[in-house]
Amino acid sequence: MSNINPLQKENKQPASESEPELKGTLIAVFSIGAFIVVSWFIVFALFVAR
Amino acid sequence: MTTNTNLNKFDSKLVMAHMHVAFVSLFIGGLMGLLQTLVRAGTFTLPFGIGYYQILTVHGVILALVLTTFFIIGFQFSLMSKTVGMTDKQRDSAWFGFWIMLFGTVTTAVTILLGQANVLYTFYAPLKAFPTFYIGLALVVIGSWIGCFTNFRQLYVWKKKNKGEKSPLLAFMVVINMLLWFIATLGVAATVILQFIPWSLGMVDTINVLLSRTLFWYFGHPLVYFWLLPAYMAWYAIIPKIIGGKIFSDSLARLAFILFLMFSIPVGFHHQLTEPGIDPLWKFIQVVLTFMVIIPSLLTAFSMFATFEITGRKKGYTGLFGWLKGLPWKDVRFFAPMVGMIFFIPAGTGGIINASNQMNQVVHNTIWVTGHFHLTVGTTVILTFFGISYWLIPSLTGRKLTSKINTLGIIQTIVWTVGMTIMSGSMHIAGLLGAPRRSSYSTYGGTEQASEWISYQIAQAVGGSILFIGIILMVYIFIYMVWAAPKGVEEFPLAKVSENAEPTPMFLENWKLWIGITIALILFAYTIPVIDIIQHSPPGSPPFDIIIK
Ligand SMILES: [Cu+2]
Repeated sequence: MSNINPLQKENKQPASESEPELKGTLIAVFSIGAFIVVSWFIVFALFVAR
Repeated sequence: MTTNTNLNKFDSKLVMAHMHVAFVSLFIGGLMGLLQTLVRAGTFTLPFGIGYYQILTVHGVILALVLTTFFIIGFQFSLMSKTVGMTDKQRDSAWFGFWIMLFGTVTTAVTILLGQANVLYTFYAPLKAFPTFYIGLALVVIGSWIGCFTNFRQLYVWKKKNKGEKSPLLAFMVVINMLLWFIATLGVAATVILQFIPWSLGMVDTINVLLSRTLFWYFGHPLVYFWLLPAYMAWYAIIPKIIGGKIFSDSLARLAFILFLMFSIPVGFHHQLTEPGIDPLWKFIQVVLTFMVIIPSLLTAFSMFATFEITGRKKGYTGLFGWLKGLPWKDVRFFAPMVGMIFFIPAGTGGIINASNQMNQVVHNTIWVTGHFHLTVGTTVILTFFGISYWLIPSLTGRKLTSKINTLGIIQTIVWTVGMTIMSGSMHIAGLLGAPRRSSYSTYGGTEQASEWISYQIAQAVGGSILFIGIILMVYIFIYMVWAAPKGVEEFPLAKVSENAEPTPMFLENWKLWIGITIALILFAYTIPVIDIIQHSPPGSPPFDIIIK
């Protein structure tokens, strides 16, 4: 899809401007993901050590 | 469907009947839990010859099976009544289901209290209980099926009247949860009716232990989602209203529920990872399917944070996390479930660890597992149910949630948080140190390893005592809201969908497709291993009566 119709491109702009700001949400969900991964590896280390 | 009226008085009565059973169960089950932690701390001996495994069975059955089922079915009837309505005939069948469940509950409870069913709530064979234990359980399940089909009928009738319209979100969610419950309970009903009842009556001599455990866990894991999905109903479709916001996305909520239906049943082997007799390949496949549940779980986390952030920003709070200040922390209808949500982060993480094959070897049958489900069902789910009760009960009894009760509710939530952090935290740590679950107090012949656990067992008693204070507070709040709060109209908060959300595509309501995929996944995950289990089992086991006291 290299030749995007310029008209289509313009049409998309206003929609993305009215999108709500969700930076905090993004970071919060990523932090949960990180928490899961870190906890998993802590117990995995315990498994390896035993 | 206006929000600011109470439910009609006939539906209210039906729902309240379920709530009374739920809160009586909370008190009895909580008391048993307190006694267990005291016994395990090595400081207390049960009087009157009552056995530890007897109160452990009461605790598990009455909280995990009775409290949850009655609360959920009652709450779901209130949602259905509010969104799609209930005819007199449907209400009659709902009452019929209620009485069957209650009769079953009493039958099972009496058997346990007479000391004839020290088999714990998983009732693993070859431990044998008196037949009425199993017959009572079967009646609870059959009664709940009447609830299922009443809910299905309610939505069906609504759909016929409102051709071409998408079903109300909460009604859709209730039907998903009841489908999940119906499909899952087929497994436990099969083992109870075809294996346990004839065996305990002496009609057959032996029981296929592995098959019975497999059928139990076919039910046991989706059971957890049957508890969790009503909490998600409140998170997705009620909390946005309480915080003054809107539902982030109707489609996303429906998609998450569909994924939970598909991926919470064909996964029971993750409870049987140490079980001989099941091909490791099928254990592996079911572990992979288990991990699929992470997708709708993180969808839910995203959706909740998005609702909070959008609402907070609309109220004028800026900054990366400034919107957190825009949330009504002093409103217990929000605060209690919110604390429940926060607890779901360690709870869900623990679940992923449990289901990982290698790590399961570290925690299997240790008290870590007990700590885990006291976070999931014992905190996330129950705090959300308490959060629901603060508006549901007064709206059913035609009373108001007073500011005094609101404050008491916030104190209750904090008490619960403190008690559970201490109790579940020490269970998790002791489990990693190898402390077994379920066993009564023992020094294990003075072995050194067991001496490492005792301080955590004392901490569990401290946490358990604090939690019992929380239960007394909650029971008081319930009694107050039923009989003493000032008369009035309490809002039944149903949120609307955000105007930013995309319209919901109709394929999300293609029931045949979702049920078809669900059944296909179950058949795929279970057919071959179950044939294998039936064909290659060792000889069945005779019953062992009351060997643990
Ligand atoms: Cu599970």
